[in-house]
Amino acid sequence: MLERKPLLLLWSGIQLSLLLLLNQAFALWVSAVFAVLMLYRLLTVFKARRAVSLGLVNILAGVIALAFFLQIKQSGVLHFMLQILLLAATARLLALQHLYEARQLVWVHYFLIASCFILHQDMFVAVIVLSVLFANLYSHYRLFSVATAKINWLQTGRAALIILPLWLGMFLLFPRLPPFWQIPNTKAATTGLSDSLDPGSIEQLVQDDSPAFRVEFTSALPAREQLYWRARLYEDFDGRSWQVNTSRQYQRGNQITASNELSVSANLTDYSIIAEASHQRGLFALATPVSSSDNVFIAPGGMLSSHKPVSQRVSYQVSSVLAPVVATSAEEQLNLRLAPGNPQTKAFATRLKQQYPDTDKLVQALASYYSQQPFFYSLTPPRLGSNSIDAFLFDSRTGFCSHYASATAVILRQAGIAARVVGGYQGGIWYPEQGYLAVRQREAHAWVEYLHQGAWHRFDPTAFVAPERILNNLDSMLPEQERALLNSGWRQFKLLQTLRQQFMHLDYYWSVWVLGFNDNEQRELWRSIRRHLHLLGYTLLLISVIAVAALALYLARARHDKTLPAAAKLLYQHLAPLLSTKQPQQPVSVFLQGCMAKYPQYSPLLSDIKSLYDKALYQNDASALAQLKVELKQHRRQLRRLHRAIKNA
Amino acid sequence: MLAQLHRVEQSLNQVILGKPEQVRLALCCLLAEGHLLLEDLPGMGKTTLAHALANSLGLSYRRVQFTNDLLPGDLIGMNIYDTRSQQFHFQAGPVFSQVLLADEINRASPKTQSALLEAMEEKQVSVDGETRSLPKPFFVIATQNPLFHAGTSALPESQLDRFMFRLSLGFPDKQAEHLLLQCDSSSSRLELLTEQLSSEQLKQLQAQVPKITASDALLDYLLSLVHASRHRSDMLPLSPRASKAILRAAKAFALINQREFVSASDVQQVFPYVAEHRLDPSSAAQESRLSQLLLQQTPCPI
Repeated sequence: MLERKPLLLLWSGIQLSLLLLLNQAFALWVSAVFAVLMLYRLLTVFKARRAVSLGLVNILAGVIALAFFLQIKQSGVLHFMLQILLLAATARLLALQHLYEARQLVWVHYFLIASCFILHQDMFVAVIVLSVLFANLYSHYRLFSVATAKINWLQTGRAALIILPLWLGMFLLFPRLPPFWQIPNTKAATTGLSDSLDPGSIEQLVQDDSPAFRVEFTSALPAREQLYWRARLYEDFDGRSWQVNTSRQYQRGNQITASNELSVSANLTDYSIIAEASHQRGLFALATPVSSSDNVFIAPGGMLSSHKPVSQRVSYQVSSVLAPVVATSAEEQLNLRLAPGNPQTKAFATRLKQQYPDTDKLVQALASYYSQQPFFYSLTPPRLGSNSIDAFLFDSRTGFCSHYASATAVILRQAGIAARVVGGYQGGIWYPEQGYLAVRQREAHAWVEYLHQGAWHRFDPTAFVAPERILNNLDSMLPEQERALLNSGWRQFKLLQTLRQQFMHLDYYWSVWVLGFNDNEQRELWRSIRRHLHLLGYTLLLISVIAVAALALYLARARHDKTLPAAAKLLYQHLAPLLSTKQPQQPVSVFLQGCMAKYPQYSPLLSDIKSLYDKALYQNDASALAQLKVELKQHRRQLRRLHRAIKNA
Repeated sequence: MLAQLHRVEQSLNQVILGKPEQVRLALCCLLAEGHLLLEDLPGMGKTTLAHALANSLGLSYRRVQFTNDLLPGDLIGMNIYDTRSQQFHFQAGPVFSQVLLADEINRASPKTQSALLEAMEEKQVSVDGETRSLPKPFFVIATQNPLFHAGTSALPESQLDRFMFRLSLGFPDKQAEHLLLQCDSSSSRLELLTEQLSSEQLKQLQAQVPKITASDALLDYLLSLVHASRHRSDMLPLSPRASKAILRAAKAFALINQREFVSASDVQQVFPYVAEHRLDPSSAAQESRLSQLLLQQTPCPI
């Protein structure tokens, strides 16, 4: 049976797609090794060569497994296990000879297919994984079926329909168990804002159209100027780049309380966020988050953080007060530290401080300085020298939000005002029909927070240089050629963009309804079921009454049908128009005999049908019945022509 | 064996000209181990048919002309005292033959008729307390003149019921009669008939009849025919014996037609000959009004 080429091809295809799906977990050389093994297998299939001997495959697999083991430090345990599993499948396919081996292979495939969901959760991949699963199911079916058996698609569809309610029920009601074992953390390339901000880092993000997170507001949508999604606090400055103070950012801190002058309950903004996998712990929130769902926590500085790096799409709920974050005493010291260099800036700051001893005034002056002096907003700023802040402020005056934020924070610190750079996202695209806000990587932004009267106030210098950047979006305020840079490639095709947008919406619903259906939601569902129990009772009663009625009807019909033997039923089913011309007392065979004379061109077919029918009906010949069924189905078209002829006659 | 049967049929058709259907039905009756009642005007070839059947099957053949003074003993035989041996010994009557032609059965007294009918049913006779079995196969062909003829006493229903088939040869068509006249005499043709099938082979064929398949669907149809006759005022109901006879006849008919199963059309073809005389004993054999009515009114969905 294993000489069957299609099955071998199918399995090779499944393994290749698994390799592509799991590729993310493999180093380049690992993928290359797998690709070579699989391509060699394909080659042997096409050349109809025998499978590789088991001994050789064992040695080969042993060597490769050892190599995998040696680099376990780099790959991590989880990826190592995935590698070993895929290696087992690939090696097994290389030396496949017996039926039981093929069965093992199919089961390992199932496991590998399921493990794809460790790495991917989006809908597109889910569809691909589903089709790979179907391919594997089909191969499984073929393993146990006889060679001539064909899949009856109608029957398969019916089976799928029957299983659908069960499947939905399982999805909705099956308890969401905590994982039985810990999945080891994976090391993967991080995406989104990083823990270090240097002038170039946001530039790259801005070119990236992929979504960072999506927000659904349970309360009203805040004004666009309020949509500053805080993600990172950059508090350490080394003279060139800003670093996150990791000891603070990801520690569980005291519960943040909103500043007292705000009546907390009235001004709460409730929203839930679905964040894409970033392989970092930092998450997103507006202004001052006061409470959140259990899977995330609020770190000092009002930052949201996940307990573990976000390696899968995560959904969480936050309530924020749209007010400045309250400062702690330690923070002030932390954010007054100065880095050496940038003398011009230092002088400028000192001058400013002398002129405006009041913090409010000073910040206003700085804002008007930005808007009045010829500062330019650009994605392609010139390179800056060693005293980068000096060079930017007094020489090039062309830069991006990170340049402005960085320079502003330095000026404020020089002027004795505690200040820090905040990295995050600004704005987003609001889809009113779908009711959610999509924030893409290109919405990445950096701004400044300064300490004033015990709270961190936001100051966004970019808003004064290029107010449109905040009010509209990036495209509208860039010069022509830079807009072209953003809209290069496929982005210029309208249709593709629309499709992409539609897909994004679909993906959103997938996240909300499928991925977001966690134990909380499930508990909620149970609760609502309990609440509507009486309604449910009536519904069940109604359903059972309908079911009983349907059953009675079915049984009555079945009894009526019972008077007709199977062969006759079959014939009446397929030859109804012809048989309607039969006189009631005439036996079917006699009638068919008459038809053969009446329609000579159909007489061979009718004669076949008649003899099979006689056998099936009068001799209780089951094989003749089956043959009759086949015959009737095969000549459906011819019979249709005959029926048309009868109708015309 | 079936081939030989068909040769029998052919040779019969050379004697009984222009009546292939009746010949086949008569053979069918023989295979089904039933008895045949031929009802016709005198001179239609009833005797010839019986004789020809016996000849071509190599069966012993006796003919009894029934008259109103025929006694049961004349038919069955009796114990006769042999003066030499000073013992009674049984003198077998004409009933001890394989084919018995009971000519003009409705002329005999009811007592004699019932004696014959008992022999037909039991396939054995008792004389002075001693039971003697009749030879096998035992096949009675009885003829009767139409009932309106003088000097006839009608067979009661219960006795008509014992004949599986009632046939009427009827007039031959012109062509057949022309041919008949051309030849010297039918009797000379009769002598030409040779044995085509031994009685052993006939027995084997008869044994095959019950093995012919009758499916449930077919039985359902047959029963719906039989049941249609019950609870009606215009006909006598068909008895279970009648339904057994119909099935047996249909099986034999299927065998002659070289099929291993009974079809609805077999039932329909034998039905008038098996059922009509049971539905209306006073009817003439040429007509089959009631049975045709039943066939028309009973739907056959299969």
